[in-house]
Amino acid sequence: MGKDHKDLVVLLTQKRKEAGITQASLAEAVQVSRKSINAIENGIYVPSTVLAIKIATVLNCSVEDLFKLHDGTFPLLTESKKYD
Amino acid sequence: MTYFSRAVLLFICGIVQIFFSAHLLFDWNILDLPSDLMFIPGILVLLTWAILSLDYHFGNKDSKVALYDEYIADRFYKLGAAGYSITGLGLFGLFAIQDYSAWSLETANAFILNLSAFFWFVFGSLIVIFSYGDYKESVDG
Repeated sequence: MGKDHKDLVVLLTQKRKEAGITQASLAEAVQVSRKSINAIENGIYVPSTVLAIKIATVLNCSVEDLFKLHDGTFPLLTESKKYD
Repeated sequence: MTYFSRAVLLFICGIVQIFFSAHLLFDWNILDLPSDLMFIPGILVLLTWAILSLDYHFGNKDSKVALYDEYIADRFYKLGAAGYSITGLGLFGLFAIQDYSAWSLETANAFILNLSAFFWFVFGSLIVIFSYGDYKESVDG
């Protein structure tokens, strides 16, 4: 199965390792299977908003720390930075 | 329910569908199956659906959160979508190759049998592929 969304950068593996949590314990904490976490980390599956928030809560970060878009894939994203 | 038992359940369900559909499509007479046994794949589908539904609602809470999570649900949707797409194309093909100038009750009957056999074959194959992939992924992935 291929990548579900080619524009998405998944930083979950990095954040999970920083937090010192295994895929299995993260899966148990957010109540999904370990292979779901693996699929998300490999970009095979894009999680629902609820699951993304659950993962971010367990890893004590924001959803944007776990998932972001490649630079230039969404022009409004760079435009909006002007108004920050 | 475990990944293994679910895979076995789905594999049996799928392989029986493939066997009965091949029996119809290719006129196999290996077991000399009487036509009144053709309800078996349907009964198996209903039984599998009942077992999985009961497990989902009343099964072990810890195992079911992993067994029936959103990733698996997404897989099931994709499986269904693939099945309907393939059967849709097959339906078009089967309708297109019929000789309507020589249409009779017998040819209509054979057409309906081919149609149902093709549907069983497509969904049976997809279920077998899913059961294998799902179990393999739970071990390796």
